[in-house]
Amino acid sequence: MRYVAERLEDMIAGLVTGGIGLFIVIEASGYQLGTLHSMGPGYFPTILGSIMVALGAIMIVTAQPGRVQLTAERGQLRGMIFVAAAFSAFALTIESLGTIVAVSLAVFLSALGNRRTPLLVALVLAVATAVVSVLIFRVGLGLQFKAF
Amino acid sequence: MSTLYSDLALGLSVAGSFHGLLYCFLGVFLGTFIGVLPGIGIMATLAMLMPITFHLDPNYALIMLGGIYYGASYGGSTASILMNLPGTATSAVTGLDGYPMAQKGRAGQALFMTAIASFVGSLFGVVLLAGFSVPLARVALKFGPQEYVALMTLGLVAASVIGAGRSIRSLASVSLGLALGLIGLDLNSGVARFTFGQTVLYDGLPLVAVAIGLFGLPEIIANAGRHNLPSVSKRTISMKSMMPTREDWRRSAMPMLRGSGIGGFFGALPGTGGLVATFVSYAVERRVSKHPEEFGKGAIEGIAAPEAANNSAVQSAFIPTLSLGIPGDPVMAIMLGVMMVHGIIPGPNVIQSSPDLFWGLVVSFIVGNFMLLVLNLPLVGMWVKLLQIPYNLLFPVIVAFTCIGIYSVNYQIVDVFVLLAFGFLGLGMKALNFEVAPLLLGFVLGPMIEEYFRRSLIVARGDLGTFIDQPISASIMAITAAILIWAVGSALWRQIERRRQVKNA
Repeated sequence: MRYVAERLEDMIAGLVTGGIGLFIVIEASGYQLGTLHSMGPGYFPTILGSIMVALGAIMIVTAQPGRVQLTAERGQLRGMIFVAAAFSAFALTIESLGTIVAVSLAVFLSALGNRRTPLLVALVLAVATAVVSVLIFRVGLGLQFKAF
Repeated sequence: MSTLYSDLALGLSVAGSFHGLLYCFLGVFLGTFIGVLPGIGIMATLAMLMPITFHLDPNYALIMLGGIYYGASYGGSTASILMNLPGTATSAVTGLDGYPMAQKGRAGQALFMTAIASFVGSLFGVVLLAGFSVPLARVALKFGPQEYVALMTLGLVAASVIGAGRSIRSLASVSLGLALGLIGLDLNSGVARFTFGQTVLYDGLPLVAVAIGLFGLPEIIANAGRHNLPSVSKRTISMKSMMPTREDWRRSAMPMLRGSGIGGFFGALPGTGGLVATFVSYAVERRVSKHPEEFGKGAIEGIAAPEAANNSAVQSAFIPTLSLGIPGDPVMAIMLGVMMVHGIIPGPNVIQSSPDLFWGLVVSFIVGNFMLLVLNLPLVGMWVKLLQIPYNLLFPVIVAFTCIGIYSVNYQIVDVFVLLAFGFLGLGMKALNFEVAPLLLGFVLGPMIEEYFRRSLIVARGDLGTFIDQPISASIMAITAAILIWAVGSALWRQIERRRQVKNA
């Protein structure tokens, strides 16, 4: 067990690679394989999946001791959550509520990703960016965005 | 010779037109603008600015993208010299001697020499591009599908094995990329592959979302929580303080030329590109220098040579991309992807069927590099000011513009979610030490390589020997096999060695 724990990073990498490869092979088995002469849609993906399984196996066999770098800094985790929230908020509001709301939300949420940005500054930045982007993209470039 | 004149005249008519100049300027300006921001690399810059070019005519789109590319690699050097915060590995080499120079109060001279060296390197690369692409494309016109499969395989394998990172992992990255490229309707059979019933996936994954997700998002997130940036000296850099001394000129001339040559060579090879070129040229200069002890402490040769090499490589990387349709690095993969989005099928036909595109691009490189000289020598103070904008106010705006950009390509919400998904894929790969660049390369080449693979086997009636029957494809395959064996073999060999050491100890 210690052997695996010491080499956790390579082990995980190998398992993930092999797993994805296996998934590709299984999914591709649903498509017609065909022959070398006239390949079906399943042929090439099956090759790729098998290569990944083989590479995953090599990674596990040749695993070197090393620690997993999953301990991200706390600032990064915060940034990750808020930036992801910002993109999702934009996607969910752009068509129903329009550019002003969507851009404001995206800027506001991602600004909160940094702990040092004061709430008021984030708010002002959000509104200002929204107005400017409507002016640039809708008025200036004539893209098909709703303002509201 | 006369055809060269008429070709260049044609190029000038495209690049020198109002729109040509405008988009070239916009490209180099925006490229420098984003590239100068610390921590944001060339790929992220290119990916984030790519949506703008989708609304343009393909000629101008490529001119602008090209401008973004060399503008960003330029801006990266500025950030690297002034703050030692390189956006990319290539500009990290410039920082090795550029940052010590800046600390000694010679930032001006370092920036000036960067500009001159980049300019010399670029011009050298453009000459290579103009000279070699046409004959190469002429040869490539005789290539059958077997040669293409061989060339693409070589490109992918070389990019994963020679580039940064561990080769086994990069090969896995490439394979995953190839598989991701197959998502969507299979053109031969009409079967929807890996779509899981989602009709939005029938056209395949959108390149822009994939590229921004893989390269842009991790960089935005990595910098989002950053608190304090290293400060830039507030002293204004005047034109006068930038003038290199006579000694500087004398010491930089030869390194610049050597750097250009090294860059031009490595840039054109698949998988190596600017990164290898800059490192090699830096190492060469340190070896031939009469005072190697100054390297790393502010030797001007340490800036001049890698900068020239990098920019020469940037230009010569277009040779295989434009004449064969085979990209050597992820940046070129994006260029190819954009060409395909605009309905241009990459390959040796491009130069003949749309000479305005090829020659317009070539001439725009020269024009754009002149613009960069102007943008960066008298106006360097502006970029220094830009570096003083607090990052915590800047990145939310970048996020917003990225959202708008990605949405404006297809007006589809799904694209934003694809971007997020690939962003997390990129983060996960980084955590497990996988390189993302090979994945993008595979993603772009996936459909093409499958198509050529099928076609060659139909021609050969299912005989795999077809790939080693003809001399050209056979020799390319042999090189590929040698690289593969070397990569996998050395990984296994290291393992055996280590086991033996453990046993003996």
